[in-house]
Amino acid sequence: MDAASQERRVRISRIAGRYLVFDIDDVVYIRRHHGICAVLTGTMPQNPTQNLFLSLPVELQADEARLLVDKGVGYIADELAEHMAQLTAADDSARKAYLQHLKQQRRHAQQVLDEERAKAQAMHLEKRKAAAASKAKALPPTSSSSEPSSSSSTTSTLEPEDSLFDPSPAPAAAAAPRPKQTPLPGITPTTSTALLPSATASSTPAVADTPAPSPPSYPLYRYLNARGYYTTPGLRFGGDFSVYPGDPFRYHAHYLANSYGWHDEIPLLDLVTSGRLGTAVKKSFLFGAAVEGASEPGGGGAGVGGGDGKAGVRVFCVEWAGM
Amino acid sequence: MASLDHLAALTKVVLNNLEYQHDWTAVQTYTASNLTRPLVYGLPPKRLYVHPDEQIAIIKAEKALGERIPQEPELEWVLPLHLSEKWSPAQFAAVFDAIEAIPPGGADKVPFDAQGNGAEWKLWRGPKRGKRILLATVQDDSTITYYWIHDGLVKPRQN
Repeated sequence: MDAASQERRVRISRIAGRYLVFDIDDVVYIRRHHGICAVLTGTMPQNPTQNLFLSLPVELQADEARLLVDKGVGYIADELAEHMAQLTAADDSARKAYLQHLKQQRRHAQQVLDEERAKAQAMHLEKRKAAAASKAKALPPTSSSSEPSSSSSTTSTLEPEDSLFDPSPAPAAAAAPRPKQTPLPGITPTTSTALLPSATASSTPAVADTPAPSPPSYPLYRYLNARGYYTTPGLRFGGDFSVYPGDPFRYHAHYLANSYGWHDEIPLLDLVTSGRLGTAVKKSFLFGAAVEGASEPGGGGAGVGGGDGKAGVRVFCVEWAGM
Repeated sequence: MASLDHLAALTKVVLNNLEYQHDWTAVQTYTASNLTRPLVYGLPPKRLYVHPDEQIAIIKAEKALGERIPQEPELEWVLPLHLSEKWSPAQFAAVFDAIEAIPPGGADKVPFDAQGNGAEWKLWRGPKRGKRILLATVQDDSTITYYWIHDGLVKPRQN
């Protein structure tokens, strides 16, 4: 498993500007080995839910997608371009195979329909037998001529049902050969899976790698990730990220984090409100920025944020002083 | 210079507030060539900040000693600000770079004799102390709110 995880390249599907991972093994791998939990987004299109019980795919934030690409453990696939490229590249044999596949699907549909019809007929046949039996039971005691009205009323209640299915039992025996003459039912394919080459081929990008995004919060994100922190989207605490000291399943968040530019002017009210909110939920408000011109003399400081390789990041934590 | 007047007034408001409302002592201003405005430092009446790891060290030491360790207040930095101001990360970094972790005169007072045995908590008053500043944000009605700002990743206190 470890050997496999070393060669693993996570396929990040870029669809409509979102970064999605569809493979459950990839999801487990990036969470366990790269501190990325991202957000499960899968739900039923017909009955969307907003709760925690969501499924694949996992949606990565742009920062997370970028990190995976930078670490060389993932690549971004532009799914639309790739899809179109594969569709247009399909040759004659692929076309034939697809038509064959469609036919197979229609046969399958016919089979299912036949089975269902047979089942329904068997059910109604049974019902009719039961009804006839109960009628036969009910008839013998009422032999007088004054009774027919009641007996006819019982039959009349059964009548509509009988009449509905009456024609069916007679041709039932003859119905079996009929489907062979009728054309197979038409189907509308809901996915284009069958149009594409086999799924195994899609493990390598057919189209050249899509460039990774570079969101402004990426330096701060990478700084936190490099220190073992997990992040989730920070909306619930009013920031860019909620920052956890380990997997969010095990820990409460330590910080709510915002990313700024090195010379971005932050209104002090923002610091006060975020600091207050953070303290109210037992967190610290963290803000950070990538140091501009980190190599210039005098800008080094105590090297608090600088230990991250290329881009130095300076972070500050704000909390209520209690006075 | 109007802006200098403003800064002087702001510093004075904070200084008075610390001294007369919060009972700080030895409150002084601190100016330096690499600071764009004067800072304030002083001694609060009781300990204002205990790092969560320091707290653990203190509890361990108290357990070993079998008695409570009195927590003397420490000298703290204060940065006077007005609510209408906007500060960039670069400016905060410049302030942190211009100061030592312990305000002037603070290092001498500390009974710093961390000789291994159970005195690890004392390190937090000396070499282990990170840079922290109280942001004193003044509003026009002279309300002042105090918030800690720490240099670097400092985990929140368990309050």
